[in-house]
This record gives sequence, C-alpha cells and structure tokens, in this order.
Amino acid sequence: MNVVRSCSVATLGCALFALCVVRAQEPAPSPARSVWDGVYTEEQSKRGESVYQKECASCHGASLGGGESAPPLTGGTFLSNWNGLTLADLFDRIRKTMPLSGPGRLTRQQDADVLAFMLSTNKFPAGKTEIYRQSEMLKEIRFESEKPADKK
Amino acid sequence: MRDRKSFRLHLGLLCAAALALVVPSASPQSQPKSTDWPSYAADLAGTRYRPLDQINAANFNDLEIAWRIKTDNFGDRPEYKLEGTPLMVNGILYATAGSRRAVIALDPGTGELLWIHGEHEGKRGGAASRQLSGRGLAYWSDGKEERILYVTPGYRLICLNAKTGLPISGFGTGGSVDLKLNDDQDIFPDLTTGEIGIQSAPVVAGNTVIVGAAFREGMTPRSMRNNKGYVRGFDVRTGKRLWIFHTIPKKGEFGYDTWEKGSAEYTGNTGVWTQITVDEQLGLVYLPVESPTSDFYGGHRPGNNLFGESLVCVDLKTGERKWHFQLVHHPLWDMDVSSAPILADITVDGKPVKAVAQPSKQGFLYVFDRITGKPVWPIPEKPVEVGNVPGESYSPTQPIPSKPPAYSRNGVSVDDLIDFTPALHDRAKEIAAKYHLGPVFTPPTASKLDGPLGTLSIGTASGGTNWPGGSYDPETHIAYLYACNSCVEPIGLVAAPKEVSDIAYIAGTAGHEVSILRGPGENAGADSPKPSKKRTGSEYVPMNVDGLPLMRPPYGTISAINLDTGEIVWQIAHGETPDIVRNYPALKGLAIPRTGQETYNIGTLITKTLVIAGEGHITTTADHPRGAMLRAYDKKTGKEVGAVFMPAPQTGSPMTYMHNGKQYIVVAVSGGPYSGEYIAYALPSESE
Repeated sequence: MNVVRSCSVATLGCALFALCVVRAQEPAPSPARSVWDGVYTEEQSKRGESVYQKECASCHGASLGGGESAPPLTGGTFLSNWNGLTLADLFDRIRKTMPLSGPGRLTRQQDADVLAFMLSTNKFPAGKTEIYRQSEMLKEIRFESEKPADKK
Repeated sequence: MRDRKSFRLHLGLLCAAALALVVPSASPQSQPKSTDWPSYAADLAGTRYRPLDQINAANFNDLEIAWRIKTDNFGDRPEYKLEGTPLMVNGILYATAGSRRAVIALDPGTGELLWIHGEHEGKRGGAASRQLSGRGLAYWSDGKEERILYVTPGYRLICLNAKTGLPISGFGTGGSVDLKLNDDQDIFPDLTTGEIGIQSAPVVAGNTVIVGAAFREGMTPRSMRNNKGYVRGFDVRTGKRLWIFHTIPKKGEFGYDTWEKGSAEYTGNTGVWTQITVDEQLGLVYLPVESPTSDFYGGHRPGNNLFGESLVCVDLKTGERKWHFQLVHHPLWDMDVSSAPILADITVDGKPVKAVAQPSKQGFLYVFDRITGKPVWPIPEKPVEVGNVPGESYSPTQPIPSKPPAYSRNGVSVDDLIDFTPALHDRAKEIAAKYHLGPVFTPPTASKLDGPLGTLSIGTASGGTNWPGGSYDPETHIAYLYACNSCVEPIGLVAAPKEVSDIAYIAGTAGHEVSILRGPGENAGADSPKPSKKRTGSEYVPMNVDGLPLMRPPYGTISAINLDTGEIVWQIAHGETPDIVRNYPALKGLAIPRTGQETYNIGTLITKTLVIAGEGHITTTADHPRGAMLRAYDKKTGKEVGAVFMPAPQTGSPMTYMHNGKQYIVVAVSGGPYSGEYIAYALPSESE
C-alpha cells in the first residue's frame, strides 16, 4: 500500500522528524559558558581600549560611565540590560547600531575587541582565547552580571 | 542642491472620506479638554498631572496593552533611547519618534498611524549636537486652526498642520524657521556643523512659541569658546522672532560683570536644554539654565557667571528679565537646572503664595514666590570647600535651602557606602579611598595617579532629578519627585593637551587617555579626537563592587513633598531590587527591603489618586519574566497598589488621557537590546 511504502521509504525521515519534535519541545539549552569563563584575552582588551577611546568614548565616556546622551557601559543599568542574554545580543547591538555616526563602520574584529575591553572594564576575567567575531558563535556565551559562587 | 527634504505620508489623503472619519474637522470646539494632554508636562505649569480616576488602585493590575508602536522605521536605523512623551489633543495623539525625529499622529484608541512627517537634513542633521527622537512637541490652537511645532536635530523649528501633517506655508520659510540664524550671534564654524541644537519640546504659551538650546556634553570641550544658548520667543502664526533672552549677558546688560576678564565674550553653552514653564495668567516664563563652558573647570570664566545654573523669570511678551536666582555660583559640578520648574499655588503660614518650585540634580527643591523671586523659605549662603585646581576661581559660598530638606543624596561619605556585609563595605571603602569625599559642593580635584583620582560626587551630572522632572498635585499642594539616590560620579580633572583642548583642565583620570565627549551621532570623521596621551598607570575604577552599587540603598526614590509646609510627607524606594543584589550569593538569607534602582531618567505621572512611574532597569523575578514594571503608588501614602509588565525599561515619562470614555496611559520604553516603542495601556472592556 502506498501508505506502508511511504512510511517504509521515509522511516529514517520520520525518526529524525520525531527527534526534532522532541527537541523543539525542550527548553532551549542554556549556553554552557559565561562571561566569567575567560572569553577574551588581555591583549584583545588592550586593542579594544584603543578602538574604544577613538570611536566610543566621545559619547560613552572615557571610563565607560556614559553621558547625558549615551548610557553607561558599566554599572547597574548596563549590567541589568544585558543580564540573562548572550554575548551575541550585545555584539549584534554594537555591530548594527554603533558607532551612531556610522553603524557597521568598524570591522567585526574591532567590534569584538571593543567588547573585550568592555568586559575587562566590568571586571569579567580574561582568558586564553579571544572573543569570537561571529554572532552565531557568541550565542554560546551567557552574559551574567553576577559572579557564580564557584568563582568567588 | 538642497541638502534636506521633508517627507510626509498622509494616509488619510488617500481617501478623503476615511480621513474625515478618523480626523475630526477643525471647529471652535478644538480647544484642549481637561482630559487631554496638550503639552509635554500636561500643562504649562509642569505638573504632569491629570485628575483622571478610571484607572485606580482597585484595577491597576488589570491593565492590558491597548496598542503599541515600534519606532524602528521612523529613521534610517532603530533607536534604543526613546525619551518622548506624546501629546493627546482633540482625539489625536502626537509624538516624536525614531532616529529621524519624525512626527507621528496616531489614533489614540488604536495606535493607527494617521500621518507622519520627517525632515532629511543631510550633513546638518548628522552633525547635530543632540540627535535621536527628542522628548516631544508642542500644540497650538486659536480655537479654529491647530498646529504642531517641534525642533529638528539640525535646530530648525517646524510648524505643521495638526490635521494633515503638512507644513504651514505662512510660518517662517515654507513652515520652518532656521534657529541657527537671527540668534544675536554668528553660529560657528558654519550653519551645517555649528554646535547648537535641542532635544526637548518647544513650549507654546498664548501665541508665542519658546525655544531654548543644547550643546554637546560639557565635560571635555575642545575650547573655552562656544556658541551661546540664548532663549527666543517666536510668533506661532508667522515664525517671526518676538524676543530673545541672553543667558550670557551682552556688554551693558545686567550680569555682564559676573564674567570677569571679559569671559562673557567667548564663553558659550549656558542654554536652556530642558522644559520651560509658563504662567500665562501672569505673563511670566521660567527658564531653567544649564552650566557654562566647561562643566567642571571655570578657570577661564572667573566670577559668578550669571545666568549659568540659575532660574530666570522673564516676561512672556518681551523676554525681559523680571527676576533670577542663581542656584550655583561659578558652576563647577554640572548642576544644570535640568527639569521643568513647577508652578504651585500654595499656602504658607496661612498666606497664599504663587510659587515656583525647582527640582534639581543636587536634591534640593528650591521654592520661590514666582512673582518676586523671593525664596519662600530662606536660602542662606553657606561656606563651602574651596579647591586647589590651578587657575580655578571658587565661590566661597553657595546658597543652600533651609526647607524642604534635601530629598536625595548630594554628598558622599564613608557612611553612604554599601554595607550589606562588612566585607562589601571594606571593598567599597577601598574604592572610595582613591577619591576625595565630601558634602554637596565639594569641588572637583585634579586627578593624580597616587590619589585622589578625583572627587567622588553625587547629585552632580546624573544624580537627583534630571530632565524628566517632577509632578505636582494642585489640589493637595504636594510635589512628587523621582531622584537617583546612588548615581555617583567621579569628577577628576586632567591638564588638557594643547592639541585636544585650549582649556587648562578637562574631565579625566590620571593615566587614562584624554578624549572629547560629544553628543551621539555626530560626524565622527570631522570631529574625531586627535591622538592623545598613552595610558600610563591607573586602572579603570568601576563605581560598583562585583556589580553591586557602590552606595547603600535606596538607589532610586520617589518623594512626596508638601509645599505648604516644606516637609517630606513620604519617601519610597522606586523599582525592584536589581537582580544582581537579589541573587548575590553572600546576600542570600539577608532581609533586604526593596532597594529601588540606580538610574536617573525616570519621570512620574500623577492622576487623581495614583503616582505612576516605570522602572529603569530590567529584572527577572519569580513574579515576572525578563522585563520591567510600570508601578502605581497611593498618592497619600506611597504604598504600592499595582504594577503592570513592560518589555523594556521606561525611557520616556508616562502620560494619560481619556478617549471615547476610556483612560489610557502611554509610556516610551527602550534600552539594551530593545528598540524604542510607545505602549498604551488601558483597562479591558469588561472592567469599564
């Protein structure tokens, strides 16, 4: 019968589909890594500081404290805005809207370096690998404002 | 070739019949109703008050979203800092929106777009000192014709037909007045890039529209010379200039001698960038004036510097000064008079007083007889610390109100630092030890690598009450004021390299690069700072301990102040305790009362019985997912009576109105990853 044959032909597909359905019904897995796991290097942060002072400090302040017309990139408002999201969200916000005078003018590498500098200034620890330059990969890193107990 | 063009979309014009259905025709009944919201702060008195009561303590939790509109497409890029408060008059809601600062007209019951107007200003818009959607617009009507007025980022006053969005051809040139012209000064270096603009809403009183001026951030200006922020009145029918008030006096004018060594000639800024208040009956205008160039160093402008950081009363018809009171002599703290003065008819010691009350960054509410300028309660001159930054000339005294008491912190001592645990307090003390501490008016210090890095200040650039201002109930004579109680600001000064600025000292930290602060969106190519000093030592010092605010809670407050008695009736922490405090492991098990939040741009709305204000921070709690709450408090007690979820923090102050028998509350939200959105809340139909 057509039905039987269809099923037999598509057995593998049916199984995969079922797996997909099961997977889709599960909550999205929380990324395993967070900003507390050393996701940038000190060298990258230094490069980012140079880019930041040239391209960003004019509005956000030399010490990331913000100004009347631009929000701080450190402290309560900043941490609460991004807490619980991923580094991809923050990276994309920078990538798509900053600097305001020319969004997208900086390279992905420069944006990643600036992000490294922001993490450094907010006292998230440096590590041995640089921040990825692709949002898809940054989705794997959680932005958590509070330090996990096991890292205190 | 013209470098700018306007666009407008007139949905109604596509179908005249449909337009007639949604846009009421002009009629003698077109004067605003008491249930409308016809100006930025509800009225010209700056009250942010409407005596509506359909939404009340019993049903606030039942509010649901009636309509919403994202502002992403009202400009060539999304905006994440939507600060507008809409108007609602005669059945149409008007707002500024998007990175274009477009004007939109909406159906107040559904949010349907009726028309849109925008100005493409080319390089002039791109170089503007104050970008993005601004805070709002103004409405005028003579009972027949209705007009909407706003100022573009490029500093042009635009006048539109309120029904169609079309420019009024008889106003200025083709519906616009170039505010960079006819300003008793030559805007330099040129009209395209000359630094001057404004983001606040113009105010219309009678047939006069009044416009102030704003500039870039004043912490690290490139020069002691800048354009000046005069205030002007224009004829709302023709756009003709009626008067001008020189916020920095010209030679021969009162106050010129408060600028020693001829510094009035070159010093700039000193604008009125926030909302202006008017008493139409008395024919008086109240101007809250900001700081002169530069915010934290006044060595190039010795003297008291009138009318910097003053409240100035001028005549509505002529702009002539009636009285003034300088809140800060020889300004050094960026204590711009930052919000709308509030008009209050009060009774003090049994006598009626027509008063004006001025909230401030420094947490003082200055109250004056608004006819004479005499303080309602004494504001004596008190000795203050004199600093030692080379070349600075300090005022040895400052006026400090005897009443009401300060409603937010305005100085920093060790006792103000976080003290949830002794360990946290010790770490905060380590940070504070790098700075000079002291009470209000402790002067900025030169930043040194071996300390102090600067003065740890609060109630300066972003403390206390900022641009959203306060609210006032004319029936009970109580003012309601949001304040940031924890917005600490380290103010250090560094010698400016000659290639960076001709000012001797600008804001900075020893060992850090020196850079120029500008408004967002300025042409970075043209204005990019020169290469500057390499960092040689000090670390960035965040004003927090593991992300926890450096100061003790409450971080943000709402205070109710009785203006008959000058006493604080109640004060509450506004805003959920931040996640980082609630979830901090070392604080688990501690009973920490709600702390409020560390943010400075919260505005309040008051109705017949409620004080309504949204939160400025995102939180995630057991009661709600990631988001912020719009909260309602009992006006009499400050007790919370309800809260409704918002997807992002409040960034523009809420307003309310009645439409077809239903009360609405509209609030602007944005921030972080969430682009600007106006959200209207109303009760579900079954609750009506």
